[in-house]
Amino acid sequence: MKTAAINDRNSGIASLRSLVSPRAWKGVLGLLGILALWQTSIPLIGVSEYFYPSPAAVARAAIHLVKTGILPAYIGDSLGRYLAGVSIGVTLGILFGLLIGFSAGASRMLSPIINFFFAIVEVAWIPLFVLWWGYGLKVILVALSYIVFFPVLYNTILGVRSVPQVLINAAYSLGATRLQLIQEVILPAALPSIFTGLRLGAGFAFRGLIFSEMIAAKSGVGYLIFEGASNQQTDRTIVGMIVMGLLWLFIERIYIRPLEALTVDRWGLATRAEDRE
Amino acid sequence: MSAGFFRLGRFRVDLLAVLPFLLLILMWRTLPSLTGMPEYMFPTIGAVWDKAVELTANGQLQDNILDSLGRLFLAFLIGNALAVPIGIAIALNRSASDFLRPVLTFLQSIAGVAWVPLAVIWFGIGMGSVVFVIANTIFFSTLYNTVAGVESIPKVLHRAVRSHGGRGWALYSELILPGAFVNILLGLRIAMARGWHALVGAEMIAGSNGLGYMTMEAVQWYQSSTIVLGILCIGCLWLAMDQLIFRPLERRTVVRWGMVRQ
Repeated sequence: MKTAAINDRNSGIASLRSLVSPRAWKGVLGLLGILALWQTSIPLIGVSEYFYPSPAAVARAAIHLVKTGILPAYIGDSLGRYLAGVSIGVTLGILFGLLIGFSAGASRMLSPIINFFFAIVEVAWIPLFVLWWGYGLKVILVALSYIVFFPVLYNTILGVRSVPQVLINAAYSLGATRLQLIQEVILPAALPSIFTGLRLGAGFAFRGLIFSEMIAAKSGVGYLIFEGASNQQTDRTIVGMIVMGLLWLFIERIYIRPLEALTVDRWGLATRAEDRE
Repeated sequence: MSAGFFRLGRFRVDLLAVLPFLLLILMWRTLPSLTGMPEYMFPTIGAVWDKAVELTANGQLQDNILDSLGRLFLAFLIGNALAVPIGIAIALNRSASDFLRPVLTFLQSIAGVAWVPLAVIWFGIGMGSVVFVIANTIFFSTLYNTVAGVESIPKVLHRAVRSHGGRGWALYSELILPGAFVNILLGLRIAMARGWHALVGAEMIAGSNGLGYMTMEAVQWYQSSTIVLGILCIGCLWLAMDQLIFRPLERRTVVRWGMVRQ
């Protein structure tokens, strides 16, 4: 208990220190500098608001979108689609990854067809999906799970295959059943690898979400970016792009990092990039 | 273990591996009658082949493929020509890196197809906006790998080169470029893959020709055979680029020098 409290205090101090560290301030200055540059370039370039909206116009559009409730609703829609699509893809990826990594027969049978589908980028499927199901949620969910499936699958296979045979033999000789073996040995050992796949897939899927919303949705952040431009409300397009960037940072901080911390870090199996600095 | 294989010329074909493909074809043929989806949504192999012959004969397929590849190549040149020097400058200059990193992280998280609508306003539908979006995607991908490459050079080597009087151009040609080369080269392949995604996506939304445009345009005319042909072309072209350009390039350089495992 006591050490936990001390750790808490230390990490609190550390985060406070990083907040006031010169590096962080320079970063904030950099962001403000870009904004200032953008605002001062408006009269210099002298083109219409439609072509090159000012930060002030973008801020007004953002406030309007929040007040009317459009932006919160769109963010909710996007986030819901994203989480649903990614969850389906991750579940299927892990299941098939365990199957292929575990069984030589399944690997012989499924690897070629999976490689065949992997070669076709998910973007290319979207026209066919639209033809089959029309514009809507189904296209987005299938596209997102398609994107996430492959990195999770390949990394799960890698993780399962890199479990030392000794451990598997040990578990069997202690009387473990196949299910117990997967639960107690294979899954924990393959977890860091699965998370590498999840991180990769989550990043790709976020781009895929925005793209498929541009094509197949009537709400969401991708739709906001697309619709703003076609209605000559360029400021809304830029609000959408900024929200997209912030949303990704949010997803990374809120969902991906804590998941990593919960599973991988606890077993001390992986180091994050920042830790190595 | 040789059960279930048969020989086809030089190749050993795994019967087990063929099974899912047969199942796929069977599903493709029976889905319309099972789910009540219209027949035309699932074109036969013959129909796709006929479409391929038709579009090759009138030159549309080649034109679209060449347009797409030309754009990808142009954007690849522009994106990398900007990203490599800027990446090196950022990695070597501590305060530039402190100021720019959050901005670049943010721009990187929105790089790619999200720029398509804005690009259309700036450059109009077609070539200009598509090239802008791909170059943007490739720029941020390569930038990241260049910075990582330069930062991976051990500090000791910097000091060693400097203490031997290496400065100016010699520092770049003897230390930084060779040291960062592996990361940059491996990064090029990733950049090309991302660029290919962005190309297809951007052409679907903002193209006036090209493979992505051809595939998306066919949806309006219910031309399912053109869509499937487009999907196959997009898949095969990527495989060909990866296997014929990037894999051999890696084998000749990085792997031969023993810097990564095959």
